Amino acid sequence: MSGSVRILEERKTSILDKAMCCNGNGKEIGCEKQSVSGAVSQRACVYCGARVVLNPITDAYHIVHGPIGCASYTWDIRGSLSSGAEIYRNSYSTDLRESDIIFGGEKKLAAAIDELVEKENPKLIFVYATCIVGVIGDDIEAVCRLAEEKYGIRVIPVKAPGFSGTKSLGYKIACNAIMRLIAPNRELPKGKGVNILGDFNLAGEMWIIKSYLERIGIPVVSTVTGDASFESLMRMPSAQLNIVQCAGSSTYLANQLEEQMGIPYIKVSFFGVEDTTSSLVRIAQALGDQQALSKALAFTAEESEKAKAFLKTYLPKFEGKKAAVYVGGGFKAISLIRQFREMGIETVVVGTQTGQKEDYEIIEQLVSDDTVILDDANPAELEEFMLEKGADILVGGVKERPLAYKLGIAFCDHNHERKHALAGFEGIRNFTREVNLSLNSPVWEFCR
Amino acid sequence: MGANLVNLNVNPCKMCMPMGAVSAFYGLKGCMTILHGSQGCATYIRRHMATHYNEPVDVASSSLTEEGTVFGGETNLIRGIENLISLYSPEIIGVATTCLAETIGEDVGAIIRKFYDAHPDAKVKIINASSAGYAGTQYEGFFRVLRAVVEQTPMDTNPSQSVNIIAPMLSPADFRQLKKLLESMGLSYILLPDLSENLDGIHEKHYKRIKSGGTPLGEIARMAGAKYTIELSRFISEDDSPAQYLNEQFGVPFERLAMPAGIRDTDALIEKLVELGGRKTPELMRERGRYIDAMIDSHKYCALGRAAVFGEPDFVYSVIRLCCENGVIPVLAATGSVCPALRPALEEEIRKCADRQLVEKTVILDDCDFDMIESVSRELGVNVMIGSSDGRRAAHRLGVDLVRCAFPIHDRVGGQRVRMIGYGGSLNLLDQIANILLGNQEERFRGEIYDSFFETARHTGQAKKPEGTLQTIAQRTASHPCYTCGGGKYARMHLPVAPKCNIQCNYCVRKYDCPNESRPGVTTQVLTPEEALEKYKLVKKQVENLTVIGIAGPGDALANFEQTRDTLRLIREYDPDVTFCLSTNGLMLPLYAQELVDLGVSHVTVTINAVDVEIGAKIYKYVDYMGTRYTGVAAASILLGNQLAGLRYLTEHGIICKVNTVVLRGINEEHIEEVIKKVRDLGAYISNIMQMIPVAGSAFENMELVSNREISEIRNKCSVDLKQMYHCRQCRADAIGTLDNDVSIEFRGGCGTGEEQAALPVKKYAVASKSGMLVDQHFGHADTFYIYESDGTTARFVEKRQVNHYCTGKEDCLDDKQSKMDLILSTVADCSGVLALRIGNAPLEKLESKGIKAVTTYDRIENAVKQAASQ
Repeated sequence: MSGSVRILEERKTSILDKAMCCNGNGKEIGCEKQSVSGAVSQRACVYCGARVVLNPITDAYHIVHGPIGCASYTWDIRGSLSSGAEIYRNSYSTDLRESDIIFGGEKKLAAAIDELVEKENPKLIFVYATCIVGVIGDDIEAVCRLAEEKYGIRVIPVKAPGFSGTKSLGYKIACNAIMRLIAPNRELPKGKGVNILGDFNLAGEMWIIKSYLERIGIPVVSTVTGDASFESLMRMPSAQLNIVQCAGSSTYLANQLEEQMGIPYIKVSFFGVEDTTSSLVRIAQALGDQQALSKALAFTAEESEKAKAFLKTYLPKFEGKKAAVYVGGGFKAISLIRQFREMGIETVVVGTQTGQKEDYEIIEQLVSDDTVILDDANPAELEEFMLEKGADILVGGVKERPLAYKLGIAFCDHNHERKHALAGFEGIRNFTREVNLSLNSPVWEFCR
Repeated sequence: MGANLVNLNVNPCKMCMPMGAVSAFYGLKGCMTILHGSQGCATYIRRHMATHYNEPVDVASSSLTEEGTVFGGETNLIRGIENLISLYSPEIIGVATTCLAETIGEDVGAIIRKFYDAHPDAKVKIINASSAGYAGTQYEGFFRVLRAVVEQTPMDTNPSQSVNIIAPMLSPADFRQLKKLLESMGLSYILLPDLSENLDGIHEKHYKRIKSGGTPLGEIARMAGAKYTIELSRFISEDDSPAQYLNEQFGVPFERLAMPAGIRDTDALIEKLVELGGRKTPELMRERGRYIDAMIDSHKYCALGRAAVFGEPDFVYSVIRLCCENGVIPVLAATGSVCPALRPALEEEIRKCADRQLVEKTVILDDCDFDMIESVSRELGVNVMIGSSDGRRAAHRLGVDLVRCAFPIHDRVGGQRVRMIGYGGSLNLLDQIANILLGNQEERFRGEIYDSFFETARHTGQAKKPEGTLQTIAQRTASHPCYTCGGGKYARMHLPVAPKCNIQCNYCVRKYDCPNESRPGVTTQVLTPEEALEKYKLVKKQVENLTVIGIAGPGDALANFEQTRDTLRLIREYDPDVTFCLSTNGLMLPLYAQELVDLGVSHVTVTINAVDVEIGAKIYKYVDYMGTRYTGVAAASILLGNQLAGLRYLTEHGIICKVNTVVLRGINEEHIEEVIKKVRDLGAYISNIMQMIPVAGSAFENMELVSNREISEIRNKCSVDLKQMYHCRQCRADAIGTLDNDVSIEFRGGCGTGEEQAALPVKKYAVASKSGMLVDQHFGHADTFYIYESDGTTARFVEKRQVNHYCTGKEDCLDDKQSKMDLILSTVADCSGVLALRIGNAPLEKLESKGIKAVTTYDRIENAVKQAASQ
């Protein structure tokens, strides 16, 4: 480990400096661990994981059963777009107070559901249990069941106390909630078409993918959960195939759908020219649809050509630049390293919040010898290593942006609040432009 | 509760206590904060603050887990404090509890004592505050920390001439203004907290992760000996008031004043400071004068204001008073905190202000949410909102502007530089409010006056078309993709039933079989009227929102009038609702115009490139009319005469006409405006000025194009005369779908692009892949294999196999390493090879013994499979 960098003892195993460690000597990065107390982790909580997966369901009422903070900080924070209802962009909370903590919040929750049913006539309600509800022991399962019986609508409990694990557990809890929702339709006859899993329609990305599929003649049955509605989700069991985009949040759901409803799945990715191309081709192959296949080949060949020509015009702007990547999951980090490579940019610092062992192995193979790899990094480490390795741009979340700026480093938003689509061929152009917007701004000339 | 729903908060107008706690701790020098609770709280608060302040915000968490929740978080918290010290070397550590820590009953005081026992040399000062999220809002959390700070700092009671200033949650810029004011008045003061620097840092060569600003601990210790305390909060409870504590414990006299926004509350603070020995500088008095001058300048605009002010009680109180002083009527005062004292404090103030403009209804709410704020604002006719950016969705739905001047501001930059206190800050806020009101008026007055007077006059006038037709044509226009801006919602279908053309334009070549080309004049096949009906039926079923049938060639709709007429009749019988649209060069219009009206065509496009026959002669090679071929000026004259007469006939009969004009470099580019003026006079509805598409084989094949920018300049010029179409896609003659998404390829015959025939024998491969895109998984870790077929030149995905589906029935088989390997082997038994990121020696041997080749690689699946198959 480099001498100039001050690192917490307990964090040392979570950092790998390739220059200091030969490959194959058995030294591995420590990951899939609890965050270190006091280390200023960038991670969120179980509730957050469940909320982000379910939130894009546009006509659902998402009731956060807990104190106001949990609702306030997650109110409409995702850039998920809707073609229909806008209900999901509201925040509903039981806003628990001191007396509710003492006497329990069940009655308040039941009354809240009563009021909502009376006023809004909902078809679908999710009830999230936060930390406090986990501790005071409200039986939200019972409250939801009673409400379902009373009103004949779906009221689904999402028990996600923040302390009960990591964000990934929240994803799983959300997937279970979806399974529970669609269970009554498990015997739906199969028809032509696919479900898109794990795309949240951030900046309309699901629409882009859907338009590609429609273009090659593959109907989309249901989308999970970008731009989804109660009705569209209930159609899910009738698809022939699931395509899984965000593996971290949705592989579990895909497995459940395969086991319980016999829908096979394949993993796909729409980041970058090559991933987008092979995903479309693969989907057509998996469906055994010759016509779609030939359309996919023609379509992707044409679009790849255009995207590559576009990228070429920007290459001189990126010469000699170095990137730092700090994102949520391993898959995203890997695809960013590869995208940067296509742009002629070397990645010198890579970190993820929740990457897994194999992700890090691949990252290690992908990057050059002078790269630092970090699991669950804190701001102090990011700062030290970005400066040490001379990164010119950081790709990360909102919290990391001001740090990069303070260090005089450019920044590209790759988070759920972004307003530019990064998927598909459009995404390639957007990403390239985004990187260049910041990387080649004149302001850096005055502060470095 | 001031909400529409009793048990449900809909769109919160507040945050939680730890948020306020973290903000207050940021105003102490050398302080780092740790939240005792689960990880998410710190992350959410950091994200919220980072986007408002555009500053790195470091807040630690004790990251309590299930175990900590059951057995107590002592170990976590002590470890967290140790780690903070080694990462940040802070002088102060603030420990704020969260819901979780409070509910499981953590004794944070005792844990801190244990920490000191274990670290007798520790120099850090630890201050803890109880801030359960459910016990209040960020407003109370902020003061609770300030109270804890004065309670837990060892005090120096030596009397001094200093004045304590306890400040509420203000922006860093306002903190700087406050300090400047105090300094200019020559007072010795201690400001708690001091957020002037820490959340609005400067750009430095070397970044410091602990900021250098904030109230130093040594200063805080001297607060007990100060001669007076001014607390800039009217509403915080005595229990949370630092001034109250300093008075009770050390006898420091105090007064609680309002946040100094607006003339009266700023004056009050300054008078108090004078009383305490400060002096008003001439500059300060000039600032005051300037503010009053500005108040007068804006007063008439302000009098039109009907404001909704929302936020923390102190903020709402002072901003409401500022509004009242300026004649902006604050019809709604709303706070998300529980604060019954707000109403009596503001009721009379607001009443008096409202009475001046005879406004009857005003509302004051506490403990309310945005759902309520929105509905009350709608009822009260609010025209400006003042508060944080959390009000933006309500403001958007209400169609009013929002002055963003409170935390948090997430959708604009400059949250850290909001200024609203003192004379200067008040002036800034006043200007923003007045400008919104002025902007409202400037933007709307023309339209409003037009609508209420001019439109009425027209409706009561004589020249009126039958109500019924007008309605339907208006509706049809609204659902016609070419006539509505953007046009993305509705789909149209062009039926290629008209192959022949009766004129030859120099820019055109008509082709029938080019599926990849998209421009007018192109189609893959020509349909008979009967085929057209069948195709319409088919497409109607599959394309949502198909509202329009168009006949756009590939020749000219009227040069093939029989086909056009028969097609439209057949479709009308099948579907009485669909809109008919047709495009023509206009040569035959005088002859068929009445028939078009009778057929129910509602929209007609006429391409008119020139209204001067000399220019027309350069554009048209020939015109075939009534059995004779004309050329030159004669051809252009016949065409033009018929176009204009036809156009007039159609518009007089209520048909919506679009005029297409192709801009041709060096021929008609200077002439377009004239064309547009002429067609406007004849009643055209919209003009579509288009780029020429250079077509190989046409006379203008090599003509230099007019740039898009020039086109858009021409359109802008012409838009004065006639509505312009900006979204034309120059569609094919057999286009189907929305303008942006042509799906006609789906409905054309196949193009014979079959699979390539395999050259080598096809072999099967099993791929271990986690991502599904790459060979990126250990062979032994795989619970799924992607099965591919390849002949070395192509790779075809066949299926995905789940390893456990090959389980032979033993329940415990997955627990046993050996059995899992057997399972994997049986999963891939029929393959020629397996591809994996890594593979152990034992499985490698097993595979080889079964004749299965193992390849370790890290590559894209398709590449790796092809490579394996070609070896």
